[in-house]
Formats: sequence, C-alpha cells, structure tokens
Amino acid sequence: MNSILVRHKWEPYVWLLPSILLMTIFVVFPIGIVFKLAFSEISKAGIVGGFVGLQNFKAAVSAPVFGTVMINTLVWVVSVVGLSTLIGFVIAMVLNQEFFGRKLARSIVVFPWATSLVIQASIWNYIIKFEYGNLNNVLLNMGIIKQAINWRATYQIEFMWECGVGIFVTIPFVTFCVLSGLQSIDAAYYEAATVDGATFWQKLFHVTIPLVRPSLTVSTVLNVIYVFNSFPIIYTITKGAPANKTDTLITYLYMLAFYDQQKGPATALSVIGFIILCIVAGAYMMISMRKEDEA
Amino acid sequence: MKKIATLLLAVLLLVTCVGFGLAEDITLDVIICQYGPNTNDWFTGTGMDGSNFVTKFEEANPGIKLNLEVVSWNDVYTVVSTRISNNNAPDILNIDTFADYANEGLLLPVADYCPEELYNDFFPSFIEQSVIDGVCWAVPDLASARALYYNVDMLEEAGVEVPTTWAELEDVCQALLDVYGGEVYPWGIDMTTDEGQAAFAYYAWGNNGGFVDENGEWAVNCDANVEAVEYAIGLYNQGFTNPNPATQTRYDLQDMFGAGKLAMVIAPNSLPTYIADKGYSGVNYAVADIPHNEGATSSSVGVMDRIMAFKDDSAPDQAARNEAIGKFLTFFYDPENYVGWVSMEDFLPAVNSAVAALVEANPSFEAWLNVLDGCQFYPTAKAEWIDVKQGVTSAEQNALTGGDVKTLLDALQAQITK
Repeated sequence: MNSILVRHKWEPYVWLLPSILLMTIFVVFPIGIVFKLAFSEISKAGIVGGFVGLQNFKAAVSAPVFGTVMINTLVWVVSVVGLSTLIGFVIAMVLNQEFFGRKLARSIVVFPWATSLVIQASIWNYIIKFEYGNLNNVLLNMGIIKQAINWRATYQIEFMWECGVGIFVTIPFVTFCVLSGLQSIDAAYYEAATVDGATFWQKLFHVTIPLVRPSLTVSTVLNVIYVFNSFPIIYTITKGAPANKTDTLITYLYMLAFYDQQKGPATALSVIGFIILCIVAGAYMMISMRKEDEA
Repeated sequence: MKKIATLLLAVLLLVTCVGFGLAEDITLDVIICQYGPNTNDWFTGTGMDGSNFVTKFEEANPGIKLNLEVVSWNDVYTVVSTRISNNNAPDILNIDTFADYANEGLLLPVADYCPEELYNDFFPSFIEQSVIDGVCWAVPDLASARALYYNVDMLEEAGVEVPTTWAELEDVCQALLDVYGGEVYPWGIDMTTDEGQAAFAYYAWGNNGGFVDENGEWAVNCDANVEAVEYAIGLYNQGFTNPNPATQTRYDLQDMFGAGKLAMVIAPNSLPTYIADKGYSGVNYAVADIPHNEGATSSSVGVMDRIMAFKDDSAPDQAARNEAIGKFLTFFYDPENYVGWVSMEDFLPAVNSAVAALVEANPSFEAWLNVLDGCQFYPTAKAEWIDVKQGVTSAEQNALTGGDVKTLLDALQAQITK
C-alpha cells in the first residue's frame, strides 16, 4: 500500500520531467544567459567581456529613437490585440450561429492562421505595392480609381498597414478561442434570459461575455505575448524604415544586434521587453482571475 | 598467448593508424557567402563540371578536409558573431567587413598564410583596402562596380541626352516627367538599409566629398556631403524618383528598370544578367558614367568582398594549418577554378591572372575592368565603418521625412568621432 502511494506521489513528476528538462534547456537557461549578457560588455565581433553594470541599459534607453520605438510598440500591441479581439469575438458569435455553409466559413477563417507569417507579410507587401500592387490593379480594373494610388505614401500609413496585417493574422486565433468558449455555454442560460425578457445586448453582457471570459483571458494573454514578440510582419514590409520610425522593440533590437552590431544594448532591450511582458501578462491574468473568482 | 599477442598487435596497428591519421589530416571550417542561386551548387553540389569545389580541392590536396558551409548574406553576420561568442570561429571566412575582427585580434595576417606569388597577383588597389597600420588582414575575393544604366528609348522619346551633371540630370528628369507623367519614374534611389551607404557614396563622391577627408579622417558632415544629400533628397521631393526610397531596394529598382517603369538607375555590372534571368525583354538600355556636380568628377563605386583567416590557438600545428589555408586560397584563385566562379556569379575578378580568360569569354568585361580601375571603395578598414554605414542610411531616411541634412550629418559625425 505504501509503495503504491509513494509511486503515485512521484509519478506526475516523472511524467513532467521531459517537459521540465526541455523548458530548462531551451527556455530558462537562455533567459539566464540573456540576463548575464545584458550586464556584460560585448564587442562588435561578438566577444563577451566583463561586467559593465547598467551601461548597456543606459545606451539602449538614451538612443534618440528609443521613445519612438516604445510608442510604436504600444500602438502595435494595443491596436492589434484590441481590434483582433473585438473583430474575432464578433466573427465567433456569427460562426456560433446555425447557417448554411458554416463549416466552410470556419475553414476560411482559419486560413490566415494556417499560413506562415512571413508568407502573409510578403503577400500583403505585394498587394499594397504602388507599381505592381494587386490592390491598385483590382481597383483600376473595376474602374473605382482612375490612377494608381501610393498606399504607402508616408511611414505613418505604412505602420497602419503593418498593424492591419497584424490584426488580419491574429483574428483566427481569437475567433477559435472565443468559439470554443461559446460552444461550452449551456443553452439553458439563454433560454432563462429569454424567458426573463432579456434583450440581445443584455444577454451579450450578462451571459455571453462573463462565460467566455476564461477563453478571452487565454487568447488575450497569449496574443499580447505573440504580438509583442512578432517580428516577420514589420521586418518584411518596412524593416523599421524610415530611420526606425516603424520599428517595434523586437525589430529594433534585432537590427541593433545584427545590423548595427550593438549586441550589448540589444540584449538590454530584450531584457526590458521580457520584464514588460511579464508585468503586463501577470497583471492581466491576476485581474481576470480575480473577476472570475468574484463571478 | 598467441591470440593475445595478435590482439595486441592489431590494437597497436589501429592506434598507430589513427594516430597518423590525426596527425596528417587538417580540417578547415569555411564559411562562404551565398552570392546567388548557383553558389551552393558550385561549392558543394554539381555546379563545377559535374563535381564541386570541396571534392576537387580534397582530391588535389590530400590530408586537408573542408567543412564548408554556404550561408546567406542575411544570416552570415549572426552566424559568425555567434560562433565567435562560442569560441568557435571559422578557419576561413568570406564576408565584406573585416576591421572589427582585425582590431580585436581575431584574424591572422595575410602574410602568415598567403603564398607570395598569389599575393602579388591581387590588384594592388584592392589589397590596399584591407590594410590597417601596414598589415594586410584579408584578400579580396571579387568585386563589382556601379554605373548609370538608362533606357535609351525613353530618353529619345523625351528628346534628351544621357545626363552627365546634376543640373542636366534634373532637366532630363523633368523632360521624362513631362512626357510620361506618373507612368515612369525618371530616377531610381535606394536609401534602404541594404544600400543607403551606396546612395550616399554616389552623390558625395560626385560632389568631391566622401566618407573621409584627404587625411583619412571621418568627414561625413563636410559641406560637399551636405550639399550632395540635399541634392538627392531634392530629387525625391521634386517627384523625380521612385516613391519609397527608404523601403524600395536595389532589386526593386532593377525590376522596375527591367519592366520599363524606371528610366535611369545606378546599378552594378550584373544588371544585364539580372534582367535576363528575370525574363524582362524589350528594354533598350545603355551604360554611362554616374552624373556628378559641376566642377566635380564622376566616380564609380566599387564594392568588394573578402576572404580572411581566423586565428586558432588550439590547432596543434600552426604552420601546417597556415599552409592548408594557403593551399585553399591557391586552389580557389587558380584561373581554372576562379574564372568559372566569377563568371557564374557575374562579378569582376580580384586577380590579374583571371583577366585574360574573363575578357576572352566576355568582351564587355574589359570596359567594366576599366571602370573598376578608377572607382572608389568604402573605407571598410576603419573600425567605425559599420556605425557610419548605418548612420548615413539613417540620416538619409530621416531627411526623406523632412529632417535637416546638416543637423543629421553633424550628429553622426559627433557620434563617430566622440
């Protein structure tokens, strides 16, 4: 009896051991290395020197473009996560209804998610090209415009396009997270609400949203992390140009590390990004969990 | 007893064989940059008369093994930097920059491994570009030169001659705009992170300016450079250029030129092959000198890549290692191999011994060799080159969005000379 208990006590850890080992080798260990490098001198050739305190952090934060990059990162994360969550939620509500062709519609929604981000970004890059862009060609052929429009006339517009592509590729993930939450809601709640005379909006805010909150929490936290760390869209469309004005923290630190050969400040920036993500994701999860407990 | 003695003898023989094998075989880690679709095939596939460079080299040099890796230009800096961080630098590296590696004591002087006969075969003006304080740290592997390509039919249609000066260039651009409206961009500019430094060079050198002054000191904010960049930005502001110079790369411009959307572009000698490979046809083009300011002289921009050897203190026999590196270079630059390599990638040679064969194979090479003879190179031997390269591109991109050129170049000069 005792031996069975002992075996059971250790069994979960034995099963978890491969994952723990993988996480330690490929996640925890590299994070530790990055923290160490952030406080070390790194030459342009890549030689790691001694401890330099906060020097890399000072160099990173005092760069003239740091403020622009942080504002871009905030706009990028808030707009992509916010709008993709809103649109994804609405699409999930539609796809949760019974209608002809629902399966096909669900398959179509998943397409942007199933394609690699680099391919998506490259395709969008061609779509909005001034000279040979598909968008101009389609609009010209349909007679909607008389001459080609430069869809990338300013860097602000280019950044908006990048956010748009980010939203487009993020929607499917939100949709399917919310859809799984919607399908788990017992129809009896809606029947009871209908009997009580609740309107559509009342059902939405008092039944649907509280019950899909766990799914929304998961999708939002994961999206904040994914979108914050997203690299291919911006790198493929503008590479942060002109002069880092369309860079986010991730693309900026990549260019800093591998184009400018300033690996020290780049490592410091990645530590800053890691801390920001931990704080944002942690705070959001705590608030959501508390609300769930209250509910 | 007999069995034990036989076994001992066998073990002894095995150990001796292995021992001799270890003592004789030298393996060189080599990183080659991917210049085009054929690079990998030539070095490791079947692109060298059904064989490849590695196989042929190992056949010709028994006892030397090559662990050769072809890496794309996008990745090579990351790969090399990571390997250096892990104390695993390659023995031989093909890349463009070398000053940082040399200044940090990572490279072997060329004199340590390059046979004298081969060293004397390199164009002296090329070798000079890799010398720091009298020591040569790398050898050139190939080069390309830039010139102005123009669409002959478009210029004829607009009734203008190919421009030689900046004033003429503006007139020609205006004439092309008048004839073609927005259908054709008169002039191509690439100020992306790929080629921003080239754009700076085209205009600065065409105004008797440049990255450094006559003493070799940084002078990115000299008056001639400010005027040059302001002129280039002025072309953009007047609507003479492609609409997005900060994101449209040289390849975008070459595509536009091939497709008849761009009338004039500064491009490398490989443009004709690029246009042919991409299937563009019907473009009637010619080559001319890069336009310059009144009173200045035209100067082509030469771009050169290098081969360098890293130190390896753990190598048991340094002399044998150096000799092996020398054999690698000798085999690579042997006209029998090198001519095929340079022609395949459509570049210009770096050694005299390849010239005759190349000109015989393609007579247009001779004109380009003359261009190369008079062109200027980036000051890559200076340690701050990477900062300057990035800095001038950033200044140009800021100027495109309304920044003041003088202020931007002053800030860059202050940053690199602090």
